[in-house]
Amino acid sequence: MNKNNSKMLTADEASKIVASSVIRRRKKNARLKTYGRIAIGLAVSFLIFLFVSIFSKGIPGFFQYYVTLDVFLDRDRLDPKGDLSPESLYNGDARSIVLESLYKVIKPKGRKEKKAAKKIISSNADVRISKMVLDDPNILGKIIPITFAVDDDIDSFLRGYIKRETPSSERRINDKVIKFVDKLSAENKISYKFSDYILTGSASRSPEIAGIKGAFIGSMLTLAVCFIIAFPLGVATAVYLEEFAPKNKITEIIEVNINNLAAVPSVVFGILGLAIFIGIFGMPRSIPLLGGMVLALMTLPTIIISSRAAIRAVPPSIKDAAYGIGASKLQTIFHHVLPLAMPGMLTGTIIGMAQALGETAPLLMIGMVAFIVDIPGGVTDPGTVLPVQIFMWADFAERMFIQKTSSAIIVLLVFLILMNAAAVILRKKLERRW
Amino acid sequence: MVSNSNINNVKTKTIGEIFSKDPKIICRNVDVFYGEKQAIKDVSIDIASREIISFIGPSGCGKSTFLRCLNRMNDTIDTCKVKGSISLDKEDIYDEKIDVVTLRAKIGMVFQKPNPFPKSIYENVAYGPKIHGLSSSKEELDFIVENSLKDSGLWEEVKDRLQSPGTGLSGGQQQRLCIARAIAVSPEIILMDEPCSALDPIATAKIEELINQLGKNYSIVIVTHSMQQAARISQRTAYFHLGELIEVGETKKIFTMPEDKQTEAYISGRIG
Ligand SMILES: Nc1ncnc2c1ncn2[C@@H]1O[C@H](COP(=O)(O)OP(=O)(O)O)[C@@H](O)[C@H]1O
Ligand SMILES: [Mg+2]
Repeated sequence: MNKNNSKMLTADEASKIVASSVIRRRKKNARLKTYGRIAIGLAVSFLIFLFVSIFSKGIPGFFQYYVTLDVFLDRDRLDPKGDLSPESLYNGDARSIVLESLYKVIKPKGRKEKKAAKKIISSNADVRISKMVLDDPNILGKIIPITFAVDDDIDSFLRGYIKRETPSSERRINDKVIKFVDKLSAENKISYKFSDYILTGSASRSPEIAGIKGAFIGSMLTLAVCFIIAFPLGVATAVYLEEFAPKNKITEIIEVNINNLAAVPSVVFGILGLAIFIGIFGMPRSIPLLGGMVLALMTLPTIIISSRAAIRAVPPSIKDAAYGIGASKLQTIFHHVLPLAMPGMLTGTIIGMAQALGETAPLLMIGMVAFIVDIPGGVTDPGTVLPVQIFMWADFAERMFIQKTSSAIIVLLVFLILMNAAAVILRKKLERRW
Repeated sequence: MVSNSNINNVKTKTIGEIFSKDPKIICRNVDVFYGEKQAIKDVSIDIASREIISFIGPSGCGKSTFLRCLNRMNDTIDTCKVKGSISLDKEDIYDEKIDVVTLRAKIGMVFQKPNPFPKSIYENVAYGPKIHGLSSSKEELDFIVENSLKDSGLWEEVKDRLQSPGTGLSGGQQQRLCIARAIAVSPEIILMDEPCSALDPIATAKIEELINQLGKNYSIVIVTHSMQQAARISQRTAYFHLGELIEVGETKKIFTMPEDKQTEAYISGRIG
């Protein structure tokens, strides 16, 4: 517009200008909407790709191949001392009993063929027999069909990962073994069913019997320790900072630092744990107690920040009401502020715990990566956790470990989803309108 | 203790009668600061037993601030500093020996926006007696709750749904619930900060009637922006302007023949 003879527009002129600008604005809106849709579409397709790839790899990992054999449970050979003690069973001859049952079906000739036949059944077969006998000694002396996991190479062969066409010298199993497997299949001895080991087994170098139970329990124990330490500490800190702390330079510095801590890479907390808990206090490595403490350090800032936000969101009018009727500060906080802030605090805590559940790096620093076969019975038993187990399995060469890695990832994902769902449900349940 | 001799020879610019024969609360030379900013300047006034007094004045003149001094609600604001003396039954309420918890049990408060706790109606009323240990049995507590709800005129409306949330009531009912909550701890004085400003005319009429009733047993200090309301319910009226108490006196006199020019300007609608 010309500055010199500027005057008010007439209503007509104004509405024309507005009308033309409306078109422009609408176009802009439409463009922005399209960009938004493209972005969401991309994100969703990545997510779908991720899920499809993990589930297609991981679901087969929950299943494995078994061979069923009629086994004669010879009392004298299985239980040499005759007292049914675990040591006696351990000293027994279960392995050869299993092999003999196998030989009856596939009838190997000569030492070479027998050697090949030995590769078919998982090395864990004798443990399975000992367990069955311990559970029910009455089966001794009978002939009963028992299902054993096949060795991981046979499993991979049956799945088609090890190909018949590959020259024998480049295969992990030779032609004799393949012949025996064919024979077992022909006699309907081979079955494919839900794995007995993936959910209930613990760490093992033999992929066919490796499972996540140890790591899962380790994760639960670690998370429990983390929660017990981080939640009360985080809430107490948040209450102090929001309700009691004087507003001065020191609290300001503390505040800024808490916010910064939330952004510190988790591995740093691992180093801190290594230096302080192991280095100074001399705590043992690899135990869930230590892991939980380190993860608590890591989740504390998240919990503090979300708890403070939740406390701040409590309407001041409620506090006024409590003070106005003569409630003390503590009563106001415990009777009114905390109950109203609880959904928000729990949501933050669960999100923090979900982060902790997926954390690997800090736990590697404190030695929770050790190869531990025993399932931890308490927070002071050495153990590992799910993500570390995944990390370890992903590093192993055997084909079957690749599937089990994906299966473990599925379990981890399911847990994360459950935890997040719990957060949503809690929030919905506890949230009140005022 | 505030000595009796000099209590009535205070220097003040306020026009009208700041003294009462039977004072419950005595305020002398009260200054209130929010940080550097002074919100109340040298206010002296008595509040008598069983009187209803209204504070009027343009918004931002410090009515709420002064009201909140009377039960030390200003303690909850970090920057707020109160000077001068305020005494309840001749005892300085800002004395170190005074416990705000007992003080606020004696001086109840009702706020501008109805603020029931997000709990049941019963819990709302029972909360005060519970924390102050006013009842020794469930029956006693039930009795207190019933009586308070009756006194606030809410009993008939809610007696069948005492366990439903207090926040589910209508605005007017919520405000009466807040009044019931305040009188459940048997206070001597009730402070009300624009208790009807968020309510419709019918609910307002009910609250006004209730205030008239309560005036027989309690001293009531009510802040209001409605001059008609002040005229309808209060015996005395105090006019505040820019943190100063300009004029105080019998309601009828303030509204018919104010002595101060500013007061007159305000009630005739020229300031506001
Ligand atoms: N919490 C506070 N912090 C700082 N200044 C405040 C605060 N509350 C009120 N004030 C100021 O004090 C003055 C009086 O406020 P108030 O007592 O609320 O007035 P009224 O209730 O008469 O409208 C106003 O200028 C207001 O801005
Ligand atoms: Mg006000």
